[in-house]
Amino acid sequence: MSKKIKQIAIYGKGGIGKSTTTSNISAALSTLGYKVMQFGCDPKSDSTNTLRNGQYIPTVLDTIRDKANVNAHDVVFKGFNGIYCVEAGGPAPGVGCAGRGITTAVQLFKQQHVFEELDLDFVIFDVLGDVVCGGFAVPIREGIAEHVFTVSSSDFMAVYAANNLFAGIKKYSNNGGALLGGVIANSINKPYAKDIIDDFVKQTKTQVVEYVPRSVTVTQSELQGKTTIEAAPDSAQAKIYLNLAKKIAAHESSKTPEPLSVGQLRDWAAQWADHLLALETGTIESSHSNI
Amino acid sequence: MSLKKINGLEITPTHSINQVRYGCTLGAMYSAAAIPGAIPIAHCGPGCADKQFMALAFYNGFQGGGYGGGAVPPSVNAGEKEVVFGGNERLEELIKATLKIMRGDLYVVLTGCIGELVGDDVGSVVSPFQQRGVPICYAETGGFKGNNFTGHELVTRAIIDQFVKDYDGKKEETLVNVWSELPFQNTFWRGDLAEIKRILEGIGFKVNILFGFGSKGADEWKTIPKAKFNLVISPWLGLETAKHLSEKYSQPFLHYPVIPIGAKETSKFLRTVADFAGLKKETVEEFIRQEEKEYYYYLEHFSDFYAEYWWGLPARYGIVGDSAYVLAVSKFVVNQLGLIPASHIITDNPPEQYREGIEKEFRSLSHDVSEEVIFVEDGYWVKKILENTDFGHKPPIIFGTTWERDTVKKFGGQVVEIGFPASYEVVINRSYVGYRGAFALLEKIFTAAISASA
Repeated sequence: MSKKIKQIAIYGKGGIGKSTTTSNISAALSTLGYKVMQFGCDPKSDSTNTLRNGQYIPTVLDTIRDKANVNAHDVVFKGFNGIYCVEAGGPAPGVGCAGRGITTAVQLFKQQHVFEELDLDFVIFDVLGDVVCGGFAVPIREGIAEHVFTVSSSDFMAVYAANNLFAGIKKYSNNGGALLGGVIANSINKPYAKDIIDDFVKQTKTQVVEYVPRSVTVTQSELQGKTTIEAAPDSAQAKIYLNLAKKIAAHESSKTPEPLSVGQLRDWAAQWADHLLALETGTIESSHSNI
Repeated sequence: MSLKKINGLEITPTHSINQVRYGCTLGAMYSAAAIPGAIPIAHCGPGCADKQFMALAFYNGFQGGGYGGGAVPPSVNAGEKEVVFGGNERLEELIKATLKIMRGDLYVVLTGCIGELVGDDVGSVVSPFQQRGVPICYAETGGFKGNNFTGHELVTRAIIDQFVKDYDGKKEETLVNVWSELPFQNTFWRGDLAEIKRILEGIGFKVNILFGFGSKGADEWKTIPKAKFNLVISPWLGLETAKHLSEKYSQPFLHYPVIPIGAKETSKFLRTVADFAGLKKETVEEFIRQEEKEYYYYLEHFSDFYAEYWWGLPARYGIVGDSAYVLAVSKFVVNQLGLIPASHIITDNPPEQYREGIEKEFRSLSHDVSEEVIFVEDGYWVKKILENTDFGHKPPIIFGTTWERDTVKKFGGQVVEIGFPASYEVVINRSYVGYRGAFALLEKIFTAAISASA
């Protein structure tokens, strides 16, 4: 009997550091000895760039566009430390249906049992921004990923996107869909940023898996077309990613989150806005226990 | 929520449609195909266009597709590739290929659900062809927008706005545009439009009939703006077009809800239209006199049968179909044959804003006959309503569709198929309207009635 493959989907608002985080998790897992595939689900198709020295790879959909029958192995490319890299790809901006593209690409791999054949330990789906339509929810629907992690900063729009994702997860939770592992809190440098994220996970009944600070090491590594794990393995930032990867490897049980309603989310944000303003103008007391 | 009560039945929404009675929006490719020399181009998935053909033009009087319909229309046949990457390129390729091998005076691109959901910018594909002088236009007719009635007005508007275009020249005093039955959906549209054109020409009009053999195709459409007015002969279809034209070309319109059948209605219709347009009375009356002379010559002979055969003829009727024919046929059989109405069911889903007007027409079917009409689309309700109708002690005549055959068998009435789908009728150019069409309808009704015992 084949071993159980751990399938994970990582979501989050565009530009929040999803691909950076995902690539570093993949890289860290591979250095821990696991066989990993990173599956980029974004029409921009740049999820795996830092695993391949900044190089783009042909996408699943580009290949489907040219050929009726595609062997999924033809669109799997090896990257850093033997990580299998796949990019779903998609249509040009403003044309076609990217959501359907993701569905098509993921289904192709599922139908051809590629994950099993490659004897993988982990498949990590790096999924574009918000759950804008059914297509982008495919990785969290039945039979694909089991655990979802969301990358979020303390910015309201990032939290909003995370909350939307939680609603998507909750919707599919009764039909065998993926459940939420937790939030990867990114760009957490200021103390209040940690407080905001902590409060959000408390409100939505989930957890923070790791706090990842903003670091110039990440930027330097990416400019070389590499992950931090590859370019600066001994850095403090690499240790944080390694720690995150270990937690994800050990993670077993995900849960259904409790997303806030739009009104609740707005009220929640407004209270934080008041608090931050007070903090800036110096009228703040010691705690924000009323939030 | 209760829609209405009728015959002791509470009509509630079923959220389903059993036994379809119209096509989807894309079915309006048959409005394009009904224009001589026009070719619809379908920007949809495989199967969509064929379904419309089979439904509207085949198992509905076996009308056939003709020059631009049936198996002729080119289709994008959108697949997974066109969904993911968009279908614009494929459509462009298809239009180029079509222009190479199919000669048309007008090409109409109709989008189906796929292109519309994916967000294909069909306008950007079609407009370069338009700029090069190709007679082509496009209509966004994704199936979710409504039925083929909705699609018909979308296609009509697209042709007017993109092909006929702006005009501020002179009007022709006696030229009229006619907007009436929905081509192909109405099984008898070809004969009917021919008869309508004939009688309007008879009283002195020049008629843009726009669809069918009597139309001069794209050239005729180009003269739409020159018409003095628009004549809408139907309870509601065509009103949107007429309103649009009144804004676009400052053309007034006359709305005449009852498609006239028989001398009484037809003469009344002609007098109303002539009056509206200010035609010369003498010419109009002379034509009516001639037509009625012929009409009553035949009717006189028919009256022997009608008077003597009373024991074997139906007394009551039920009617199911599109609002246009349900109203037209009811007016005729009540006023000219003295049949007793029992059930009026309208299935073409008229827009809400027109329903009150339609109901009003039925409340004054005759000077002493006021009837209620019910709007349903689900065959389940049509069957229930007919089964719950009191048709008296004699077998009734049911004007309806092929779908009514099984229901009517149970209570022993006779079916006269007057609408979609009419799968037990072969129709070439038969008409049921005007002076001449009335006889075909009479022949059909009473042949059906007396052959029941054959």
